[in-house]
Amino acid sequence: MTDLERLWDDVPVGPAPTDRILRAARREQRAWRRPLLRSSGTVLALGALAAAFVAGTSVTGGPGGRGGTPGAGGGGGDVAEFSGALVAAGSCEALLEHYVAAGQELVGPWGWEQQWPVMARAGGAALRDLTLQRGGFAADQAKVTRATSSDTGTNVQEAGVDEPDLVKTDGEVLYRYADGRLTSYDVTGPEVERIGSVALAGTADAEILLAGDTVVVVGDDRVQTVDVSDPAAMEPRTRVDLTSPVVTARQHGDDLRLVISTGLPELDFVQPNRRRGVTTAEAQRRNRALVADTTIADWLPRASVDRGPEEQLSDCADVAIPSTTAPLGTTTVLGFGADDVAAWDVTAIAADASTTYSSTDHLYLATSSGWGWDGWGCATCTSRVVPTAGDGTTQVFDLELDGTGTRYAGAGRVDGAVRDRWAMDEVDGVLRLALSPTSETGRGNAVVTLRRDGDELLEVGRLDDIAPGEDITAVRWFDDLAVLVTFRQVDPLHTIDLSEPATPAMLGELKIPGFSSYLHPLGERRLLGVGEGPVPARGGRTSWGAQAGLFDVTDLTDVRRLDTVDYAPGSRAGVASDPRQLAWLPGIRTVVTVVAHGRTGHVSVLRLADGRMSNELVLAERGSDVDAVRLVPLAGDRVVLVTEDDASYLDVRPPSGPRDRATD
Amino acid sequence: MDETEFAAYADEAWPTLVRAAVFLGCTLPDAEDAAQATLVKCFRSWTKVTGADNREAYVYRMLVNTVRDSHRRPWRRERSSADVPEHDRQRSHDPHVAVEVTDAVHRALSGLSKVNRDVVVLRYFVQLTEAQTAAALDVAPGTVKSRLSRALAQLATDHHLADLTGRTSS
Repeated sequence: MTDLERLWDDVPVGPAPTDRILRAARREQRAWRRPLLRSSGTVLALGALAAAFVAGTSVTGGPGGRGGTPGAGGGGGDVAEFSGALVAAGSCEALLEHYVAAGQELVGPWGWEQQWPVMARAGGAALRDLTLQRGGFAADQAKVTRATSSDTGTNVQEAGVDEPDLVKTDGEVLYRYADGRLTSYDVTGPEVERIGSVALAGTADAEILLAGDTVVVVGDDRVQTVDVSDPAAMEPRTRVDLTSPVVTARQHGDDLRLVISTGLPELDFVQPNRRRGVTTAEAQRRNRALVADTTIADWLPRASVDRGPEEQLSDCADVAIPSTTAPLGTTTVLGFGADDVAAWDVTAIAADASTTYSSTDHLYLATSSGWGWDGWGCATCTSRVVPTAGDGTTQVFDLELDGTGTRYAGAGRVDGAVRDRWAMDEVDGVLRLALSPTSETGRGNAVVTLRRDGDELLEVGRLDDIAPGEDITAVRWFDDLAVLVTFRQVDPLHTIDLSEPATPAMLGELKIPGFSSYLHPLGERRLLGVGEGPVPARGGRTSWGAQAGLFDVTDLTDVRRLDTVDYAPGSRAGVASDPRQLAWLPGIRTVVTVVAHGRTGHVSVLRLADGRMSNELVLAERGSDVDAVRLVPLAGDRVVLVTEDDASYLDVRPPSGPRDRATD
Repeated sequence: MDETEFAAYADEAWPTLVRAAVFLGCTLPDAEDAAQATLVKCFRSWTKVTGADNREAYVYRMLVNTVRDSHRRPWRRERSSADVPEHDRQRSHDPHVAVEVTDAVHRALSGLSKVNRDVVVLRYFVQLTEAQTAAALDVAPGTVKSRLSRALAQLATDHHLADLTGRTSS
């Protein structure tokens, strides 16, 4: 970062050409004052914009509805009963008391402590002393199984649990959301045909879920349902505005759940100021007083349906307070059926636990040990040790799914950090976690298995000391197996046997330069890793860029890399930061994934045959948001390439005859 | 209308506007054009936007939109700053240094998504408050916080990799 800060100062900026600006502005103003008819559009637009601006800036953080009773708009479901690690608040007073007490301990002379995430930097030589336990387990018990996209075309973490995306399909109609507009396409014919489109007032930054005849648009702080029973005439239905951001969403059939994270309130903190006689102690005292003066509205999220009155999402009494220390904040799970958003079910926990993993029948919320690591996680974060605002442990809350609501099932605590949702997985009631080291643990990573006993998640098995000093960059879970990639300078890919939860065991490891940020299982024998590594550059030198690797995992104790595809120096694989930029077409043994270079995005068509991969690059996007490119697989081995402006079929047929390449 | 007040503001805001435009992806000449166009636009609505908080958010919102529009289509002659002929522009800097610096910046930030980059530029480098950044980008304040940490984490990653791989980390 300091390099960037230096570059900021180094930008050669001359003096402001103020005269020139004034001259140009005066000239414009004169043109502007001429016939009102021609320029009135501009005048009105500017007025409206400025007015909206003045009004808009007062919306943040103002005290909303006081008191704790939610209005008629929300609720209706059963209240989750808490016990043990989580206790229901019982009253607004008790809940506020919790927030204030915890907040006062957290606030310092400058406001909330540790405002910026602490970035630990790499240093020192790489010393790896991997202690491998080669288990005597029959490797055929642990198996890699293929991963395919969800029914709506999104490359999801868990089969049967859908996630929001920019593009959704039911196989016949494809829906694309971009820049505040939902567009539908017919994908049954020989060409992708646009059907209809509807503009939705709202933030451009949103994604969609598809449930039957409803598209649910989920924005950072807003939910909008759209009736798409007629794709030519899509109708917006209900809109819900929230005062806290939606961190993530999950879909099980027609039930949708949003995880909403309410952070620490922005208060008017004072700072020590020697000139004004404000000492550090005095500043802290004043800031603590500010925290004491907060009301419940500062800590709990509120919602308004169809621009109606704002109501608190949860009844104070039902918010669960952790019995032991947990990062301060509020995490709310809002569940609803796509056809009736306003009749939602709420479960709220007075802790910042927004790292979310959902299996087909449970939702797990984990606290982030590091300040600033949010629910989305960062797949390639590389601090040696995850910085902790707390005690270097992670609390996991287990919520059982019940219709559109959730039922509290239990909680547990482990030493170490859960980096992001990929580090969690549940199979047959066993929760598996890939843990990164914290200030409270040793230097190695760990895989831990937990089982619920009553309302406690108890550790049943553990494998420690995995790649000490290295960062977990990718994890893939299977029924009986975990594949873990760690990185320091070389990429050990570890396979871990989980067939016996009480004794996870290391099966094997593979060392290759570079690292995979994303692992995609192609079947029992093949695994694709996409990430970065050394790539050949001009003049016989070696540079660094995006890379794809094909691994043979037939023998899990001896994983071998069969082939690599190197992309241009300076390129990056889109799937490394967003798994939705990859699709696997098993019928034609082809992977399509986005590779970006600067502001140009290509689709890399990787064809697998006989243990080798061939690559063909198709230009996809130039200049606009390469991150928004999506590849949606459809029946019949077809793929739709969706960019910010367009949706069309991508020709992925293998070249026939002598080198018959598709044109760029 | 008080031109002196506006002129003083333009003088003071200019360097940060240009730097912000560079960090948002412009070359130096384009950044200067964008900063100029932004200030001209602000002049028009100067009397409407009074409070300091509003002004910063408004000005940077104009800048972000100007930069974004310029990337979508070729720079149009209608923009007031383009009325100034090329030779009038005082080059108080060495064009080669400018290109080196801006290239390095763009390379360093190329790993970020558009929104994340917008947030880190406004919140971290320009040092707008969370509320101002949220207003400028038309997102919720909570979004600013989460996107900022994401962006900073990604930048730390890239820097870290540069350290490890010996890539020029400038």
